[in-house]
Amino acid sequence: MLRITHHWANWIASTALSGWLQNEAWVVPTSQSIHIVSVSVVVGSAVIIDLRLLGLSASGRSVSQLVDTLVPWMYRALAALLLTGLVQTIAEPVRQFVAPVFWWKMLMIIGVLALTVGFARAVRRNEAAWDTPARPAGAKWFALISMGLWVGIIFCGRFIGYTWELYL
Amino acid sequence: MTVPGFLLAAEHTSFAAAMRGEFGWEWLFPIVETLHVIALAMVFGSVVMVDLRLAGATSRNSAVSRLSSEVLPYTWGAFSCAIVTGALLFVSKAHVYFYNLQFQLKFLCMFLAGVNMAVFHFGAYRHVLEWDERHQPPRAARLAGALSIALWIGVIFFGRWIGFTT
Repeated sequence: MLRITHHWANWIASTALSGWLQNEAWVVPTSQSIHIVSVSVVVGSAVIIDLRLLGLSASGRSVSQLVDTLVPWMYRALAALLLTGLVQTIAEPVRQFVAPVFWWKMLMIIGVLALTVGFARAVRRNEAAWDTPARPAGAKWFALISMGLWVGIIFCGRFIGYTWELYL
Repeated sequence: MTVPGFLLAAEHTSFAAAMRGEFGWEWLFPIVETLHVIALAMVFGSVVMVDLRLAGATSRNSAVSRLSSEVLPYTWGAFSCAIVTGALLFVSKAHVYFYNLQFQLKFLCMFLAGVNMAVFHFGAYRHVLEWDERHQPPRAARLAGALSIALWIGVIFFGRWIGFTT
């Protein structure tokens, strides 16, 4: 598995685009900064929705209002995350592909995306059910798993930089 | 105590030694740094909601005062966590960070964000009930919201660049 991914990484690193990105010293730090701003928008929105579902936030907007306002911003920020993540991967493919935490991160992203899209659809299908204090069963589990996955994603993301050299 | 003396004293604490990976805790710095990232994500992610409302860009159907009281407690809670984790990161190499340009610019942005907040709070926000429900808040409020977003993005950018320059 690691051999195949290392092979891909070397191929990406040999492309002209990757070479250009590697030579421009400002690209990766700038891309990472935009990545952090974007992840803040996604995680800030997710946590506020999750705490609302857990009944931990003070009175405020209803769950459906929160979903209507925040989920579109989450999707916009996710697009920026994908784009900047792609830039970082093309610029430093080996660093990403050899680190197991990178693959854990990708796995958790797929999980949390599927969960979030499903949740947003469920709320839009039946807003009244989500806006009562007795929310559908599973709301609390969704909130806990979603927050856990986002914390895990940030951990793995930050640890790519600290662990990748251990796998060379 | 002089500034260099303070920096030196900070670096000699056992907190600082642990953060530098002494006592076999080489993973402490990355862990505290990750907690710092989670905290700052909550600070920016929450404050930007209020700022975008002030700028007239989103959440227009929520009253400004109601949105603020719903969201800003998260901002302050997360900011406290960012201060604690940030202080731990700082003491590990206090003099390196203190004299680092990006670190200084980060704190300049944070200071200006604080000034901006104070000016808004004691200015346009005192009459918030007059424009609480308006989709487009008054110019002073829109300016405060836009400035706050720009300054916090500056904090994040310079913060990330510290890691590339120290």
